[in-house]
Amino acid sequence: MNLAVRVGAVRLANPIMAASGTFGFGPEYQGLVNIARLGGIAVKGVSPGPWPGNPPPRVWETEGGMLNSIGLQNPGVEVFCREDLPFLRTTKTRVVVNVIGRTIDEYCQVVERLEAESGIDALELNISCPNIKEGGMSFGQDPEHAAQVTRAVRACTKRPLWVKLSPNVADPGAIAAAVERVGADAISAINTVVGMAIDVKRRRPALGGISGGLSGPAIKPIALRVVYQVAQSVSIPIVGMGGIRSVEDVVEFLMAGASAVMVGTATFAEPGTMEAIIEELPGYLARLEVSSVHELIGAALPGR
Amino acid sequence: MESPRVSRYRIVSRMEKAKDHVELILEAPVLARAVPGQFVHVRTPGTLRRPISFSRLNPVRGEAGLLFQVVGPGTAWLAGREQGDWLDVLGPLGQGFPRPEPDRPWCLVGGGVGIPPLYAALTAWQNDVTASIDAILGARSQDYLIMLEDFGAQIDHPIAVTTDDGSVGAQGTVLGPLAHWHARHPTGQVYACGPMPMLAAVARLMQTSGVAYLALEQRMGCGVGACLACVVMANGPEGPLWRRVCHDGPVFRAEELIWS
Repeated sequence: MNLAVRVGAVRLANPIMAASGTFGFGPEYQGLVNIARLGGIAVKGVSPGPWPGNPPPRVWETEGGMLNSIGLQNPGVEVFCREDLPFLRTTKTRVVVNVIGRTIDEYCQVVERLEAESGIDALELNISCPNIKEGGMSFGQDPEHAAQVTRAVRACTKRPLWVKLSPNVADPGAIAAAVERVGADAISAINTVVGMAIDVKRRRPALGGISGGLSGPAIKPIALRVVYQVAQSVSIPIVGMGGIRSVEDVVEFLMAGASAVMVGTATFAEPGTMEAIIEELPGYLARLEVSSVHELIGAALPGR
Repeated sequence: MESPRVSRYRIVSRMEKAKDHVELILEAPVLARAVPGQFVHVRTPGTLRRPISFSRLNPVRGEAGLLFQVVGPGTAWLAGREQGDWLDVLGPLGQGFPRPEPDRPWCLVGGGVGIPPLYAALTAWQNDVTASIDAILGARSQDYLIMLEDFGAQIDHPIAVTTDDGSVGAQGTVLGPLAHWHARHPTGQVYACGPMPMLAAVARLMQTSGVAYLALEQRMGCGVGACLACVVMANGPEGPLWRRVCHDGPVFRAEELIWS
């Protein structure tokens, strides 16, 4: 059974990757997850300087999912290159660095700093985080702003450039098409869905950041609809994510048009989720009477 | 130190310790070698696991205890488990208490569901400490007070008890008896676990002299340091920074932390 897939120029041994923000910078799950078995890992968002993140509580469980308001706490690109990249270089998997900034210039600062470093297979432009006041999701709200930041970053790097989209928009297909036109190599979809919860004991919003990003199985239908729509709006590959926890979930995303997927929230409860899916994938594909993952990509799209 | 793993362990006994408080004893030789103050992340039917610290660690019998309060659907499900059932557990996790210094008076201060890890610490190290050992246990009311009998079986002099309503022990918080203890043992060592306001007050009291180690609780995601959910403000080399309760803690030295 052939599990290998391509996301543009990036070849993955299998289509299962760890989603940004749920897998730290790689070493945290050592001993619990065999990183070498994964198709790839997307590390936590990296900004030009250190970002403190939001006040706790930063997570809150909800029906079928969870809210987070981490606020992209990270040590900044300099510390990332010095302390985290050496480990990532030793991993026998694809490394995707998620990039975040408050301004277009800040996105470019991160990408330019990473240019000199080896061990990075792709960049994932985060224009979709709902938990910061400036930058992040504000760039992903309309096609024009999304294209501006993508065009600027494109000029700074030859590395494969993936753009991670927000579901909190009217027309994700139009945003995907806009970033494709200015040189994006792939689309990651989706980031979390904006939501909130109230802690009735404290009579206050449950999260320190008031609102947060909803993830987990509850958002899978939203994610599938975005992937399905984006797949009909662009010709670049799509990396699908949102509530995946089983091999059947993965196959749904593939059929909706994703070339690969990322698993996030499911890893918290079951660190072995990604490896279990990779283990089960060949048997599942055999039952569907296909001999490669590739055959399923976009199988549910109109005209297929 | 035992490295964390996901494994299934059989419940060998289940006890109602107080109103809304249940203790499960697991047949778990690996967990039984953990350090008091460390915790496990227990699978429940929801999206996230539930962090619970060890109430007892018996490496000879290969048993580890988990004592928790029922606060929501996850812990309610856990409280419904019975002897013979199996639990899916990730652990042991985090940094536990250090071994106490043998010649410093030692005081264990627990508030509510913060009491159990102190009992694990007491039973692990009481024979190492040649100085005096005291315990101060606090609860909302008599109905919610846990582990007084357990402590009483280990410590041969009276244990200070406080309740918010005075239904047992002295009315008030653990801070009253702790201030008295600290006045008598200014260079003593305090191990404390309980609600954040209690720990903040313990830290303030111990600022002048002595040492205090605090075991913290915070809303947690992954439990292994990856998601940065369960942070607490601490002093860093270049100013304040967030540290992870699950990975850098849950036990911190009092002076490491910044209280808002």
